[in-house]
Amino acid sequence: MPIPNLEKPIIKGLIEKEKVVVDGVEVDGTWNAFMIERTQTGYDPSVWDEIAGTLEGATISACWQCGTCTSGCTMREYDPKYSPRRFIDLARKGDKESLVELQNSIWRCVSCQKCTHRCPKGVLVEEVVHSIHNYLLKHGLVQSDPGTVFDELFLDVVMKNGGRISELTLGGASAKAGFVSLSLRDLISMSGALLKSGLIKDVMKPSRVKDWDKVKTVLEDAMKDEIKPEDLQANIRYQVVPQ
Amino acid sequence: MSSPYGKVAFYPGCSLDGLGKSYEESLKLVAKDLGLPLDKISDYNCCGALEVKNVNTMAGLLLPARNLSLAREMNADAVVSACPGCHYSLSRTQFFMTRYPKVAQKVNAYLEKMGNKPYDSKLLMVHAVEYIYNSVGAEGVKSRVKRPLNGLKVAPYYGCLYSRPKSYTLSGYMGLRDDPERPSFMDEILQALGAEVVPFEAKTMCCGGPHAYSDVDVALHLEARILKEAKRNGAELLITDCPLGHVAIETNMNKIAEKYGEDLRMPLVYFSQLVAFAFGHSPSETLLTANITDPLSVLKRFL
Repeated sequence: MPIPNLEKPIIKGLIEKEKVVVDGVEVDGTWNAFMIERTQTGYDPSVWDEIAGTLEGATISACWQCGTCTSGCTMREYDPKYSPRRFIDLARKGDKESLVELQNSIWRCVSCQKCTHRCPKGVLVEEVVHSIHNYLLKHGLVQSDPGTVFDELFLDVVMKNGGRISELTLGGASAKAGFVSLSLRDLISMSGALLKSGLIKDVMKPSRVKDWDKVKTVLEDAMKDEIKPEDLQANIRYQVVPQ
Repeated sequence: MSSPYGKVAFYPGCSLDGLGKSYEESLKLVAKDLGLPLDKISDYNCCGALEVKNVNTMAGLLLPARNLSLAREMNADAVVSACPGCHYSLSRTQFFMTRYPKVAQKVNAYLEKMGNKPYDSKLLMVHAVEYIYNSVGAEGVKSRVKRPLNGLKVAPYYGCLYSRPKSYTLSGYMGLRDDPERPSFMDEILQALGAEVVPFEAKTMCCGGPHAYSDVDVALHLEARILKEAKRNGAELLITDCPLGHVAIETNMNKIAEKYGEDLRMPLVYFSQLVAFAFGHSPSETLLTANITDPLSVLKRFL
């Protein structure tokens, strides 16, 4: 079948020739374009199983690909490749190759929760997308990204500063990691407001949890623990609204 | 005045002890004037916000669970959070613990090791706006106003997590919850002060919060969009109930103005600051002076 001219720019691996001769006969001009053979292999069905076995990804199987999540997505406006529906589809097929191609998109979720809120099937889309991203990170398929670096930084600050975050400690740590680029003007207006109201005292002394060292030890222990697939038997009679 | 929530524990969250101090101070004033109890969970820890849950599943559950357990120790029936981020994290843990009993067992085992009581999943999470609205109503707020803000045009910004997603916050599943797509509780509180609430479609739009540092271009664009929508409808002040969004927009204001136009500059005020101001408290009491943007340039005509 000839390839319509309009579709040519969107086809990957198109071969076009000026003149094609088959068995000594020149072929008509509309038949001179070919697609290279693209047979994708390497689908890995274990991707779906592994994601469905995590706490965040447990609802991935309920998705029926309607695209409600994607049509309202905040990120899609800025990144046309951002599509939670497609991420779920690819993860369930086990198409790791395509997911890796999308690595510069997947991490950019801003957690606005519109997708999870609107999903007609009760899929926790935001959680599932993070679970897919975590799968890629865990198996070393993608490099770490600014979002993940910041998340790790955040946890680190919580652990080191007595179980609480303060803008000063977080800001200092992010500046060290090269994130924040507050100009002198911003700093002056910020500290000006804080000085004027006497708030500077509160901001300068971050408070701590009383028995943090004990809590921290248990927490570090717990972080090595994992939720296993057999822990995820849903209590179907759970009460949505507490009594 | 009877509260529909029973005994209430107040979870301030880290941001209210930092740059959001003005939110906490003014909220305390408002609660005191309205006769609403606001007992703080004094030994609270960070709820993990939207970051920790992406790094480690167990830490994402345990950090909020410890706070919930502390609230139950105070015999509370409900937890009031002023920060929608905290409201979301606490609700998320509650959701997973009620839905998966074995996960709850696991979390409780670690809570006991920490020296806390196991959490029985019996709390109701409440946001400060809902708490005020459902306890005293717009009428109750109106009866306390000493300094009516007639003619003040405001745009109420609720943020993403105030009533989203429905599976965690239960909006749509029960009474006492705001409409998740077009919320109105804060609108009614602000109208009770005499202010005029302008039509505002960016009420629950995202400000790029968790990526305010790591994906700056997108965050700036999202923030500019909120300011633009408020300006276009003629608002003089942007009223927030979310310390994450408030601080992100305030600290980025210079960059937004540089990139998207100086006319987008607009002062931001926490809703509780405005309520306390209308109740007759001075700007220094309500810490209006502590905002990085200058709301007094607009509010001085009511002094």
